[in-house]
Amino acid sequence: MDKIELKNLLFLARIHAEEREYPEITKKLTNTFNLIDEMNNLDLQGLEPLNNPLELNNVSREDEEKNRNQKDKFLDQSPESDDDHFMVPKIIE
Amino acid sequence: MNFREQRENFRNKKISAKEAVQEALCKVENDKLNIFISNLRDSAEKRAEEIDNNFEKYKDRPLSGVPIAHKDIFCTENIQTTCGSKMLSNFIPPYSSTVTRNCDEAGSVMIAKTNMDEFAMGSSNETSFFGPVGNPWNDSLVPGGSSGGSAACVAANITSISTGTDTGGSIRQPAALCGITGMKPTYGLVSRWGMIAFCSSMDQAGPFARDAFGCAALLDAMASYDGKDSTCSKRDVVNFENALAEDFGALNIGIIKNIEDLGINNDVLEAYEHSKSVLQQLGHTLKEIDFSELSSGICSYYVIAPAECSSNLSRFDGVKYGYRSDQNNISELYMKTRSEGFGDEVKKRILIGTHVLSAGFYDAYYLKAQQVRRMMKNKFEDIFKDVDLIFMPTTLDQAFEKNRQDSDPNRMYKEDLLTIPANLAGLPAISFPNGFKNNLPVGGQFVGNYFKEDLLLNTANKIQEVTDWHKMTP
Repeated sequence: MDKIELKNLLFLARIHAEEREYPEITKKLTNTFNLIDEMNNLDLQGLEPLNNPLELNNVSREDEEKNRNQKDKFLDQSPESDDDHFMVPKIIE
Repeated sequence: MNFREQRENFRNKKISAKEAVQEALCKVENDKLNIFISNLRDSAEKRAEEIDNNFEKYKDRPLSGVPIAHKDIFCTENIQTTCGSKMLSNFIPPYSSTVTRNCDEAGSVMIAKTNMDEFAMGSSNETSFFGPVGNPWNDSLVPGGSSGGSAACVAANITSISTGTDTGGSIRQPAALCGITGMKPTYGLVSRWGMIAFCSSMDQAGPFARDAFGCAALLDAMASYDGKDSTCSKRDVVNFENALAEDFGALNIGIIKNIEDLGINNDVLEAYEHSKSVLQQLGHTLKEIDFSELSSGICSYYVIAPAECSSNLSRFDGVKYGYRSDQNNISELYMKTRSEGFGDEVKKRILIGTHVLSAGFYDAYYLKAQQVRRMMKNKFEDIFKDVDLIFMPTTLDQAFEKNRQDSDPNRMYKEDLLTIPANLAGLPAISFPNGFKNNLPVGGQFVGNYFKEDLLLNTANKIQEVTDWHKMTP
């Protein structure tokens, strides 16, 4: 993985790293991918990918009214909010 | 005191819930191993009084009057829940997980929340933002992870039961390293609602106790159908405590051919060989099985788990809850919040997951890993046509020194070699102490077919009736 690829990856994951940290991060990732690449030695032809070990249930519930307005409870958790909104820095310059 | 004695003492009024709770809290407050993230003295004493004042109502419940510690991955209403991370170090959930609610309902008293690897990513409890946990047998060694605090809590006799979660071995490996019993149920037996997600298709909560009896009672409390978790099983849950008394007869137990070639330490192998003879003495038949695919689980796991983690952890952005790094624009806010809020291991796994899911790499990694997962499931299904359960060591090694991760991170990942296959296939497995070498415990595990928790608990219990490994304390 070169510097530009790592920079893209860090941006995709929204994780900041200084350029001086890149060699160490690359080393760690390469190490793990060496382990993962052992998959290439397996014969997987014809195997259907499995994304969940058990069949999924389709969950439904009665259409009952519940107290779902917990706005204040959730806004209280926010690092910054006003009475009705989560606050973030200016998005449009 | 083990769980059974503790519950009996409450039911016979030899000790009140409040007395049991105060005794446990005293030990929490004197803990030198960094086992706990929060101590809940006030709420615990109040809850214990309520149970004592309503003795008749609670006395026959599965966990009546017993103090419990929950892994800090379970959301608890109005009580700090950190998941071992700086990202959630200030998080006070507005609701409780189904697991902790079920345990409350079953008559237990939550006294503390236990330390853990950050977001359950680790096998040594060293990735926690709140510092590493020491192993009660030797505090310079790790207790295992990610549920290391919960395992150490029971091993150190602070509580007789605790909860954990197991995505790649995070209950069974610390149970083995701390010398206690721990179970990962079938995927879907226990609700994941309110359990902070790491890898949603493998995460499963389960019990820790000194013995299979305690695990059975705690699993009775934890397991329930829950409409809030769409992967939660709708089948009727059996009573696991009652299942301990059932007679399942002589079993065919699968023993993996050439397992010694997987790099298992000789002391662990010796304990394993001894347990095989105990199983034969109990009338079971050992059948050698070919499972050469076993070691392939690890490469698949380190694609699927990071992939799901990168998706699950994308919610932590510094806007709605959790840690925020204040910045002048939104992009910087996301980037700095996540780089400052997550630890190195978590960031590494997010990057791996983001990479394997990105355009151009999906087929090479994620799809292939899911095919390996299918291969694993198919293989287990074949094996369970011939045997009732599989017996193998839980780990390659006994408890190891802290900081091993720095010298060889892949060695740490390989530590989960024997536990990961059950997670990939969604099968139940139980680890129990099966030997003692170098002044440290050794663990062995049974893996069973889907929803055969009753058989696993029963068989482990029968072994514990004729052995004493589970009675040893640090």
